[in-house]
Amino acid sequence: MPAYPQLGSGALSQFPVQKNRRVRTVVNQAADGSTIKLADPAGEVTEWQLTYTDLSDEEAAALRAFFVAAEGTLNGFTFLDPAGNLLAWSDQLDQAAWQKDPLLSLTGGISDPRGGAQAWRLSNGGAAEQGAGQTLAAPGEYQYCLSAYVRAATATSVGLTAGSQTARRAVTSEWTRIAWTCSGDAQATSVRFGIEIAPSDAVEVYGLQVEAQTAASGYKASARGGVYEDAHLGDDVLTITSTDVNRHSCTVKIIHANHL
Amino acid sequence: MATFPKLKTNAIAQYPVARREQFQNQTVRFVDGSEQRYRDSAGARLEWEIQLSQLDEGELAAIEEFFLARQGAFGSFCFTDPWDGHVYDDCSVAADELPLVTEGEMRGSTKLTVVRNI
Repeated sequence: MPAYPQLGSGALSQFPVQKNRRVRTVVNQAADGSTIKLADPAGEVTEWQLTYTDLSDEEAAALRAFFVAAEGTLNGFTFLDPAGNLLAWSDQLDQAAWQKDPLLSLTGGISDPRGGAQAWRLSNGGAAEQGAGQTLAAPGEYQYCLSAYVRAATATSVGLTAGSQTARRAVTSEWTRIAWTCSGDAQATSVRFGIEIAPSDAVEVYGLQVEAQTAASGYKASARGGVYEDAHLGDDVLTITSTDVNRHSCTVKIIHANHL
Repeated sequence: MATFPKLKTNAIAQYPVARREQFQNQTVRFVDGSEQRYRDSAGARLEWEIQLSQLDEGELAAIEEFFLARQGAFGSFCFTDPWDGHVYDDCSVAADELPLVTEGEMRGSTKLTVVRNI
């Protein structure tokens, strides 16, 4: 499935980003004011309004080409939420969304750097590196930033992985945020992001986050994750205004509905 | 039961916050001019209009995830009245829509209305 294009900066959008969440609840209101409610999980709709200014010729051409390829609102595409954490269940590493190597043990409820108890201790009882990760249905050639807060009782290092690549980052006894700007494997339609622990090591981890941009923003705990497959453009019209040489502006609406 | 998320300052809301209290009474007026009044609801309807701005990414995401986890107006939660600290056990978000705006880094905003279910 095609994916919404990144800008030349590696970002998916510019500020401001407007996001609208809509769900549907059937409400039966009685005469005394009390209500009986029924949720409709399939009725969830998310809308983004992305406002672009000072786009280069190449960036404007890429947006236009994407609009033409999508034929306006007709064809679906994968949209990576520019204001969200692409990982699902980022605070709950024991959820099924996470794939864990067999000799890695997870302990939850560890105190985190924000004063809560959402961190996890990852202990490797094996003789080889063991890790936990998540596979995202996101294009491999995009730029991503994988980040996490880490600490360990004794100084060590962890591996951050994206597809077949790994980067090592130092871990100290204080909470430190580590980040890695990376891409997946070119032409791949999914990327596995993860963290690897050296043999016999134990590292505490909090705030795993993947964003489709070149640097990490503030940590956003997520449940659903920020990969929206089968999103659609919200309009059949794309107006690009040239404000100067090599400067263009436009607004794009994107909609994702569970039931489409 | 879930609890409405606090900001990192431990605050529930920011100024301005509006609190609306509404009764639902009926009046029957007789030919001699006298009246009989009675309550037509199980209790007073309480509403709080919460407007939040200058939120960091984590605070905005926490509100968003809370809204999704409650499935909008469907789910109920505990809400602490920012006026007097009283905890109301059975509250809901009033609408099925949540607008989220990110103006820049650490400059998120949103608004929602919380109602006490009766």
